[in-house]
Amino acid sequence: MSSDLVILLTAGLTATACGLLGPFLVLRRNALMSDAVAHAVLPGIVVAYLIFQTRAPLPIVAGAAVFGIICVLGIDALRSTGLVKWDAAIALVFPALFALGVIGISTYATGVHLDLDSTIYGEIAFAPFLSLDVLGAELPRTVVLGGAAVVANLAFVALLWRKLKTTSFDPQYAQAVDVSPARLSRMLLVAVAITAVISFESVGAILVVALLIVPAAAAHLLTDRLTAMIAITVAIGWVSAIGGLSFASAADASIAGMMGVVAAGCFVLALLAGPRYGLAARAIRRRRAGRRARVALGAAGEGGAAA
Amino acid sequence: MGPLIDALPFSYTVSVIALGAAVLGLTAGVLGTLAVLRQRTLVGDALAHATLPGVCVAFIATGAKDASTLLIGAGAFGLIGALLVVGLERSGRTRPDAAIGVMLSSFFALGIVLLTYIGSLNESGQAGLESYLFGQAAGLVERDVTIMAALGLGALAVVAALFRPLKATLFDADHAAAGGLPVRALEVVMTALLVVAIVIGVRTVGAILMVAMLVVPAAAARQLTGRLAGVLVLAGLIGATVGVTGALLSAQSGLPTGPVIVLVGFLVVLACLLLAPGRGVLWRARKLARDRRRLLVEGVLIDLETALHGGPPPTQRELALASGRPRRALRRALRDLERTGALARDGERIYLSESGAASVHAVLERRDLWSAWLEHGWRLELPDAREPDPRDLRASLGDEHADRLRALAAEARS
Repeated sequence: MSSDLVILLTAGLTATACGLLGPFLVLRRNALMSDAVAHAVLPGIVVAYLIFQTRAPLPIVAGAAVFGIICVLGIDALRSTGLVKWDAAIALVFPALFALGVIGISTYATGVHLDLDSTIYGEIAFAPFLSLDVLGAELPRTVVLGGAAVVANLAFVALLWRKLKTTSFDPQYAQAVDVSPARLSRMLLVAVAITAVISFESVGAILVVALLIVPAAAAHLLTDRLTAMIAITVAIGWVSAIGGLSFASAADASIAGMMGVVAAGCFVLALLAGPRYGLAARAIRRRRAGRRARVALGAAGEGGAAA
Repeated sequence: MGPLIDALPFSYTVSVIALGAAVLGLTAGVLGTLAVLRQRTLVGDALAHATLPGVCVAFIATGAKDASTLLIGAGAFGLIGALLVVGLERSGRTRPDAAIGVMLSSFFALGIVLLTYIGSLNESGQAGLESYLFGQAAGLVERDVTIMAALGLGALAVVAALFRPLKATLFDADHAAAGGLPVRALEVVMTALLVVAIVIGVRTVGAILMVAMLVVPAAAARQLTGRLAGVLVLAGLIGATVGVTGALLSAQSGLPTGPVIVLVGFLVVLACLLLAPGRGVLWRARKLARDRRRLLVEGVLIDLETALHGGPPPTQRELALASGRPRRALRRALRDLERTGALARDGERIYLSESGAASVHAVLERRDLWSAWLEHGWRLELPDAREPDPRDLRASLGDEHADRLRALAAEARS
């Protein structure tokens, strides 16, 4: 595989993995929890690295999942004391965990192939140089991991489709038929943690949030159907990957950052020109409604005058 | 600043860092409180991320690396971010959490693009800007601290001047609006103040973790007092303490400043959440345990009195059977009673000592008074509507009302 193709596949697969989860996060109003969880996986990566002294995917994914769960449970615990509100609970827990991770990296950075830059915006440009031995075949590591994340998330969404859908759109009904929205939210956030850590090498722990939230929020402006929303989200993810790659090489800037910027551009486009919820469509509708109202009022006025 | 720096018992560099961190903590604490009480903390997170592209744009536009120019860029982008978040929230379809998330990650992605772009232009140029990610207290110079202090003082003066209308808006925006206060304008002011706090802090704490500096002091102070003025003052003090401690630790260890400050702050919040008198988790747990124990001991006392009333002094076994309490609870209550000298023993058999009989009498009287309160309390015509303390009704009602209550109960019985 050429190195450009490897980078493109890595970026696209990462965006796809995020795009499968993003719509649920946006619909369930969990967008900021996913932001928190994506930050909180950092100490998990550091701890796993320190314990197992390896960058093999499995221990690191496990470490990240553990810290993702710690983050979610910590926020829930803080909220349940009733002493702080939900937003403050989020803003207390994830910075503390992220700070722990940053300090861990800066303390043990010597000899560890982790550094703060890659934490934030990944090192997707190095993707072609890393390979993973899969059943005797040398495959690009990030592509394999990204593909695994896509398969895992696809399986997660497919298996829990009904429950995810119910709890996203009507949590009260779901609760009544014994499907706990809170439990599904937690499972979703664990999936986010795992996706975040797999994406960590390619786009970094923070920019993964851009791929989780922004395409899904854009798709939310474009459609009312869940399947369509997921499809649009994934499509925007690929647009961001392709656009990010070409613009980044033109401007000689971070690929992951540029992917986020392209995704943001897609969001702005959807916000302005969306067929139903876009600002332009709304303005036109409002103007038409106003005109109709004036016409109707005028007719009523004439009728009244004639009578 | 000069005399203040000389007055501190540190070297010049450390004094500058400590002063800068104190100013940052003080302003972030006070101004962050305004956001925390409105549940708009995470907007602060989005604004902090939005300052990063602002710093980069200012650098690209002017080529200057001095803090004040860059901070103007940070402030401008912070304000733009604030407007966009509010606009997006009001646009209808996008919910607040998604609006904040979209703004946060878009601005941050833009910041990263600009940062790496600047890095590719000029090897040395980027080095200064990277400290805006995780914060670097060590780079502060006296002039920066002077500017920070001036900005911070201005912001605090605005809070002091607008204290009453801000208070009204924070507690009940609808009521304040009905009373004729310009609530929208006040909310704009509070958001602008939030941007000021972020601009002051972002260089030292970093864009990613700045939100913690806004929340930590407010969350800690709120546990210690319920009055707004108290919360604001305490939040300022806690913020300054956390900032100075963290900055000095970081300067000593060479670790990035933001994370160290945030971890110090998290420990402070945790301590307040656990131990705050009247509210803290451990404090409430201890009070609950004590109340349960007291109820158990009083109950056993009355069980014993009942048993003594009906026959010979019971053994512990008989008492357990008669009262139906778990053995362990009974044993624990008897041990407590024995320690206070309320029990007397005749071999296996237990009876009440003189002081025990007196406390049974007191407990029964308290219970009588409580049931009289429940039944006839409404006839007392108390001067205020406060609920009396159920544990000591007589003291919280006053002797006069307690006696009247007993008279009412006696009258109803006859």
